[in-house]
Amino acid sequence: MLHAAYLMALFPLAGFVVLVLAGRRLGDPWAGWVGTAAVSASFVVACLSLGSLWGEPATARHFVENYYTWIAVGHLQVHVGVLVDPLSMTMCMFVTGVSALIHLYSIGYMRRDSEFSKFFIYMNLFVFSMVVLVLSDNLLVTFVGWEGVGVCSYFLIAYWHERPTAASAGKKAFVYNRIGDAGFLIAMFLIFSKLKTLDMVTIFAHRASLGPDATTAAVLLLLLAATGKSAQIPLFNWLPDAMEGPTPVSALIHAATMVTAGVYLLCRMNPLLANSPDAMWVIAVIGGVTAFVAATIATSQQDIKKVLAFSTVSQIGYMTLAAGTGAYVAAIFLMVAHAFYKALLFLGAGSVIHGLHDEQDIKRMGGLARVLPWTYATFLVAWLAIAGIPPLSGFWAKGDVLDNAFRKSPALWALGVLTAVLTAYYMTRLFVVTFRGEARWATQRGGSHEPPHECPWVMRLPLVVLAVLAFAGGILGLPWVHRAGLGSWLGPVFGPALYDAREGAGLQVVLAVVDALAAVIGLGVAAWAWRAEVDRPTLEPQFLQRVWYWDDAYDALVGRPGQALARVASVVVESRIIDGAVNGVAEAVRASAAGVRRLQTGYVRNYALGITLGLAAVVAFVVSRVWWS
Amino acid sequence: MAQYLPIFALLVLGVLFGALSFLASGLLAPRKKPTAAKLAPYECGIVPDREPPARFPVRFYLVAMIFIIFDIEIVFLYPFAVVFRQLHTFALVEVLVFAAVVLVSFLYLVSNGALSWGPGKWLRVGLPARTSESTIARVSVPPPPGRAA
Amino acid sequence: MLAAAAIHVPAIRYLAIMPVIVLLGGAILLLAFQSLLRGPMRLRMATVATVAISLAAFGLAWWQWADVEAHGPYTTIAHAVVTDGFSVLVTVLVSAVMALSAMVAEGYLAREGIEGGELHVLALVSASGAVLMAQANDLVIVFLGLEILSIALYVLSAYNHRRAESGEAGLKYFVLGGFSTAIFVYGIALTYGATGTTNLTQLADFLSRNVLIHDGLLLAGMALLLVGFAFKVAAVPFHMWTPDVYQGAPSPITGFMAAVAKAGGFAAFLRVFVSSFGVLRADWRPIIYVLAIVTLVVGAALAVVQRDIKRMLAYSSVNHAGFVLLGLQAASAVGVSSALYYLFAYGFMVVGSSAVVTVIGRHGDRDHDIAAYRGLARRQPLLALCFAVLLLAQAGVPFTTGFLAKLQVVVASVDGRSVPLAVVAMASAALAAFFYLRVTVLMYGPGPDAAPAPVGPGDPPLAVARRTRLNAALLLELAPVAVADQPQRAALAERVPVPALAAVAVGICVLVTVVLGVFPAPLVDFAHRATLLFVP
Repeated sequence: MLHAAYLMALFPLAGFVVLVLAGRRLGDPWAGWVGTAAVSASFVVACLSLGSLWGEPATARHFVENYYTWIAVGHLQVHVGVLVDPLSMTMCMFVTGVSALIHLYSIGYMRRDSEFSKFFIYMNLFVFSMVVLVLSDNLLVTFVGWEGVGVCSYFLIAYWHERPTAASAGKKAFVYNRIGDAGFLIAMFLIFSKLKTLDMVTIFAHRASLGPDATTAAVLLLLLAATGKSAQIPLFNWLPDAMEGPTPVSALIHAATMVTAGVYLLCRMNPLLANSPDAMWVIAVIGGVTAFVAATIATSQQDIKKVLAFSTVSQIGYMTLAAGTGAYVAAIFLMVAHAFYKALLFLGAGSVIHGLHDEQDIKRMGGLARVLPWTYATFLVAWLAIAGIPPLSGFWAKGDVLDNAFRKSPALWALGVLTAVLTAYYMTRLFVVTFRGEARWATQRGGSHEPPHECPWVMRLPLVVLAVLAFAGGILGLPWVHRAGLGSWLGPVFGPALYDAREGAGLQVVLAVVDALAAVIGLGVAAWAWRAEVDRPTLEPQFLQRVWYWDDAYDALVGRPGQALARVASVVVESRIIDGAVNGVAEAVRASAAGVRRLQTGYVRNYALGITLGLAAVVAFVVSRVWWS
Repeated sequence: MAQYLPIFALLVLGVLFGALSFLASGLLAPRKKPTAAKLAPYECGIVPDREPPARFPVRFYLVAMIFIIFDIEIVFLYPFAVVFRQLHTFALVEVLVFAAVVLVSFLYLVSNGALSWGPGKWLRVGLPARTSESTIARVSVPPPPGRAA
Repeated sequence: MLAAAAIHVPAIRYLAIMPVIVLLGGAILLLAFQSLLRGPMRLRMATVATVAISLAAFGLAWWQWADVEAHGPYTTIAHAVVTDGFSVLVTVLVSAVMALSAMVAEGYLAREGIEGGELHVLALVSASGAVLMAQANDLVIVFLGLEILSIALYVLSAYNHRRAESGEAGLKYFVLGGFSTAIFVYGIALTYGATGTTNLTQLADFLSRNVLIHDGLLLAGMALLLVGFAFKVAAVPFHMWTPDVYQGAPSPITGFMAAVAKAGGFAAFLRVFVSSFGVLRADWRPIIYVLAIVTLVVGAALAVVQRDIKRMLAYSSVNHAGFVLLGLQAASAVGVSSALYYLFAYGFMVVGSSAVVTVIGRHGDRDHDIAAYRGLARRQPLLALCFAVLLLAQAGVPFTTGFLAKLQVVVASVDGRSVPLAVVAMASAALAAFFYLRVTVLMYGPGPDAAPAPVGPGDPPLAVARRTRLNAALLLELAPVAVADQPQRAALAERVPVPALAAVAVGICVLVTVVLGVFPAPLVDFAHRATLLFVP
């Protein structure tokens, strides 16, 4: 089955092609079913491949296959192939699995959208790109997938492109990602210039000849790429705006899969990271700080999806922190668990938004537990999971990250625990304000507002499946069965590069208790603070609502000078210099062409004269060679 | 080097001839540019009321060209006839193929009526509104735009 | 005396010359069949027959390929004809282009009301000449192929006798072609005089065994051969016939000529110079160097100022010839294969482009002003898309064969240590991208019936827009288009009918261009193995 790994990418691509060709004709809902079927098939292939890989002995779970040579110019030999190992297979499993569920959900959510099939076209293309990104054994092909998911993200954020906010949010995401992509590109150039290859296996084999400085530079550039894609400081603020897209998109791309690509890249390149301890410190600090900053912001947002967006940024911050400490298994563990509960949260939020007819302000919700029982129950699971209440998946995954952070640096650990408190706090706030209390939606809009309705089964089914996974996902990496779980499965991929902090059971238990306490404290405080009142300005300072004035700072530091520069550029540089140069070149071409053109008289005799003169010149050259020799 | 002298001389002579021709025509040709009327048919000021007839039917050219086909066949057949015993069947087949090709071209000509000597088409009567101005205008019509580029 | 001398009938490996026989024999049979019919031949019948003949030659070429793969390249008929990977690939290209051109020509002939299948017959003959040139291993055979190729093309250029330009094109091509052929034959004579052989292998052999340092006679012969070839492939300054002939010739023939004549001409050019005169490369590489630079620059610069799409294609073909010269100038196996790859890519691009031009030309084959392409994307989006893809491929946009072709010749040139030449080539590609983009922009702009937007003088964005527009007008010379008179605009705004076969041909060309651009591996591999029999 491993030889058919490419089918994982091929099925969504086939779905994409079919939908491009016949999507409009299939229409609502069949186009959605086609898309879902394609992704589900991909998931089945992933399961079968996983089974095959599992059957191999632990040391032999590394499988590289080249399908064809894409580019062959000099040293640049780019093969399109797959690298199947436990890491990429784990990614593929949850990418295709969560995608299949969200596709199913979207059939219900996107119902009666005017361009129903277009949505699934982009979604299938996204899954294809994501699988390419994950499976590729070559940096350039990874980059193709990287750009592919970026483009799909752009398309899907700006899916309702008639809305100016959606269009500008798409643009913002695109621009921020470009900055990160530049880092990726330069990293590739750097690696290629030193090692003459972009093949990952070869890069890892020859990483020693890269030299310490180049390694650090390459890792930091890859980190820049990761901060763009995974919405980390300093490039994190595109993600909240990206919530302008349809909610399934937020769930799939901006919570579960695409935004984790940056962390995946760092994990994938772990041999390089291992050679640069300095860069790893930078990664760890960026991750920890992002986790904290985003969590503070999430405490004060009103838009249900924005809370979740900042929560996502914060959680990915944890993953980055784990990658920076070398605890890649913890990073992946959290990534998987996060994919389950965050997708569930978004889908639940989507269900709420769907039920309330596109209402996103949590201050206008409340009391939904009664009218949306399925959503309520599943959201409850996700809430407890992300808050880190034992024994749900979030507790184990976050605990794993924090254990490792403690070994690396107690300061980072403390920051992480503080973040955990905040996480429990803002999630509880969100949950209580949305589902408990009085039904503010009924009064806000007068009597004409029809009551919220529970979503159809195609939307409920993914909610339930994800709720089960979010509840039980911790099984993958329970500390005491660690050697048999995710740790032993992923361990060989990272080899000696893996930082494993599992020693001293006593300390571990203490840390776990601290984690649990942090969750309970955050939860309790929020439950108490938001039990009745929904307008508490003191708890929602302007500073946090405005995202630490981050956007304003960018606007002042980059935006306005940039605009000024653009004005200068447009008035002086463009109109005078560039236009002048272009027009000058054009004029020069025209003038010289006019000169040559005059020779093109249309008279055969002149043409013959031209041939003769050319002949004379050639013969003269030859004669000169005879004479001068 | 000496062996190339003839070639060089030929080159020089060729260039000289060309240059002299230009020079001579420049010296001998009338200086004035011909007027439009001068370029008109017959150059006499009288407007022809029919298209100037061709000097003789184009058919003669066709016949001459048909002749060339057979001419070439003959040129090819003579040397073949001299050595065909040495060349055996191979050459015979080759010549037959060659003859067949020539025959096909002849066939094509016949099918296109190259050998049908019917009466020629009647001369076309000139357009009704022909004046000296229009004639002159037609003769000295400027080249269509965009040609000389 | 003659009779006394023993004459050996040379051994013939018929597979080697089978494609030529099929093309030429097919043409003759088609002509005979047509002569025996009572009325004029049905166009569809002629087209089907031509496509079938071309495909037969195509299939035979693949057979030859398998043969060459299995037994290696070989010469036959007293070493006058060679079959190697190089010749086979040219055969594949020529027969494919022949089939496509026949499909395009059918719609053209039907539209123009020209009866009979002579065009197909002549094109087949011409194609056989191109194949023969690629297979020639003797200067005399090169000459033979050249003449078979050219004479049919002279007639084809003049084929549409209702257009004065067509006749003019044929006559000009004929006179100048005869002139250059004379030079070429003189070159053969001098080469024979200097070396005592016209066989290319023996020539190379002779040159490598005898040290003829700067033998004037040989060099003069080589120079004359070079000029003869340079005329055929339209290198500056031997290119002047190109715009007039390309413009005047019937549009399907323009594409055919650009693809086939160039392929045949360059095939022999490459073989004779790289293989036979390889020892003398120090003498001819500088000439090609200068020729390539002039060709690249003049071709691109003059294409920019054209308003007639066919003239533009003509100058762009001159520019492309410059790129192929880059591969020749490298004078290496890599150079040859890259040049061949370029010809292959260009063949499909230009046939597809000229098919679109044929369709857009409408009845009378005269709507070739670029104004005819205004807003084409609104009227016929698919046609516009195909044309845009073909034009962008010619400009060398990635993910098309055009990009890979340009990349390969430039790499070959850099490998041959002609870095300045490669730089000039890339600069000319940038310049050339201009006129391809210009047509593309026109196609995707507003239609001819769209009124120019009113422009307020004080409004900044509009002022910018106006400035941009004026720049565009200045750059693209669009101003005259804007004032085109009303009825003509109305006529241009109608959809043009696209014959089914022409659509299929365009589709195939686009498909080849894009698919082989995205998945280049098979063709790159193919071209690497398509080497000459002998490269010193």
